[in-house]
Amino acid sequence: MAEPVIKLENVWKIYQLGKVELVALKGINLEVAPGAFVSIMGPSGSGKSTILNMIGCLDFPTQGKVFLKGEDISLLTENQLSQLRGKTIGFVFQEFNLLPNLSALENVMLPMIFQGMSEEERRERAKALLTSMGLGERIFHQSPELSAGERQRVAIARAFANNPELVIADEPTGNLDSVTGKKIMEILTDFHKKEGKTIIVVTHDPNIANYSEEIINIKDGQIIANHLTASKVLWQR
Amino acid sequence: MAEVKEYFHIAIRNLRTRSLRSWLTILGIVIGVFLIISLLSLSEGIKQTINQQLRSLGGEMIFVMPGDISNIMAMFTSGAKLEKEDIGAIERTRGVETVLTMSYQSLVARYGQEGKMVFMSGLSWEKGIEIMERFQGWSLKQGEWPTPGKREILIGKQVETEIFEKPVKVGSEIVIKGKRFKVVGILNSLGSKQDDSSLYLDLSLYQDLTGEKRGAAQMAMVKVRDGSDVNKVAEDIKENLSETRKRRIGTDVADFSVITSEKMGDIAGSIMAVIQFAIIAFAGIAIVVGGIGIMNTMFTSIRERTREIGIMKAVGARNSAVLIIFLFEAGIIGFAGGIGGTFLGAGLAKAIEMYGQVHPLFYFSASITPGLIVFGLVFSFLVGCLSGFFPARRAANLKPVEALRRYE
Repeated sequence: MAEPVIKLENVWKIYQLGKVELVALKGINLEVAPGAFVSIMGPSGSGKSTILNMIGCLDFPTQGKVFLKGEDISLLTENQLSQLRGKTIGFVFQEFNLLPNLSALENVMLPMIFQGMSEEERRERAKALLTSMGLGERIFHQSPELSAGERQRVAIARAFANNPELVIADEPTGNLDSVTGKKIMEILTDFHKKEGKTIIVVTHDPNIANYSEEIINIKDGQIIANHLTASKVLWQR
Repeated sequence: MAEVKEYFHIAIRNLRTRSLRSWLTILGIVIGVFLIISLLSLSEGIKQTINQQLRSLGGEMIFVMPGDISNIMAMFTSGAKLEKEDIGAIERTRGVETVLTMSYQSLVARYGQEGKMVFMSGLSWEKGIEIMERFQGWSLKQGEWPTPGKREILIGKQVETEIFEKPVKVGSEIVIKGKRFKVVGILNSLGSKQDDSSLYLDLSLYQDLTGEKRGAAQMAMVKVRDGSDVNKVAEDIKENLSETRKRRIGTDVADFSVITSEKMGDIAGSIMAVIQFAIIAFAGIAIVVGGIGIMNTMFTSIRERTREIGIMKAVGARNSAVLIIFLFEAGIIGFAGGIGGTFLGAGLAKAIEMYGQVHPLFYFSASITPGLIVFGLVFSFLVGCLSGFFPARRAANLKPVEALRRYE
């Protein structure tokens, strides 16, 4: 097997809430191969978001190691990590998380600024991405002027901006109606199929998980099953 | 470096989104810079006016006045005089070329139907005209120099148009204490409002008019012989005067002042230095308050935008990028405040200067130099950056995961 895009090795995450210790992850071992489409499922409080933060290199584990394309992220400085994250990972959030002061175009151009791309290149690429999302007419609108579905498409265009190896989507359809949600999942699936990129979706919706090729169920900070179909959503029982 | 332009662009956008708050913060800086610029340009202008006047006196002059210079009010109000013996003592001092005595007083002058209080100086025409021309920069705008002993007067430039309703012309008559005087000449501006609004007449006529003793005077200007050391001559005059006074009154209280024009400059300079220090101190407080305003705005803004910072970091922003964006925001606030403050400050100074030209008491120009303007702008930008530094550093050091989680 090729080198995993992301690898978690016995990852523990313990939050100190005053005097109480909250163990969010209990020794997670996980490998995601390049080109995979993985769903992580679990009820709220199961540790999904924490695992997502680890995979997205947004946080460091209390114990254990996280490798991004073979590199141990704990050995990187915060700036190096930002750089690597910006280049390798694209994020799609449930709340879209667009910068409200910037236009759709500028939001998509933003990750490219931090990679030092020239303005012309950025503009061209951002326009092309937005057009491919069917937003060619809306590029100069700011996010408050866009519908939820449009915002999420802008967010996906932004996630694709630096042509990342890995796209992480956190409940990408959570704030959308089912029709729009379906469209969004189709865009992600398309990207995965056409470009052969890795996609990790965190969700509690079995319908969404069904798009993926591999489903990982977690409960109480542990992986309890790794399987292929959403019908085996164990935690629902 | 290209990305810095983008950061600047983002900073501008952020400020625009919170425009009311941005403008209020800018206002805080405007007030501080406005104070600094207006007060500094005015005090610098006053300083220059004083220096200019002192320069026009020439470095070789010594002024002798009764009373102690360290108590200026007492000196001008005591009415003390230099007696004939005193003046003799000055004239006898080695190195003294000419002694020009002067007296001055405010009197009512009538011109046509109008009576106005004016400042009147008496000085001996015989010696005076040449010295005044050479060392005080006197020149005639119109008319001619008066003849000694005749009832002829010179008027300052302001008297011509500002004092009386009807303009005073060469050949007009002015009545002082029931005596008629003919205006024979109008002087060009002497650079001081008081000098320009005075009437000048022969000392002997002045003394007849005011009842001042012949031979006495309120002040003496001493022209030093070429090649003599001004300070040495001043010392000698002081000594001679002390002796004369001791003989006459029997005390050795130094109730007169001997000042060279150089020393006068020093005195004026040190007074101005104290005033400028006070101005900078007070205006500095205003700037600090403005800076705290920026800091407050930036901290608030960072709290509100924690999530945005998280997003930027998630999509690859380095700490330095976040730091630069927030520093730009603070710097722009400071700089915008600087532009407004400098503009308003210079405007006020100019307005006061214009008012000063028509008001009979003040007479100064504001000194608005390019240096002062650059100082205003650079200084306010720096205040902005400095006040923005701690908030910006806090923003830059936010952990992405914390920032994204906040306010969820």
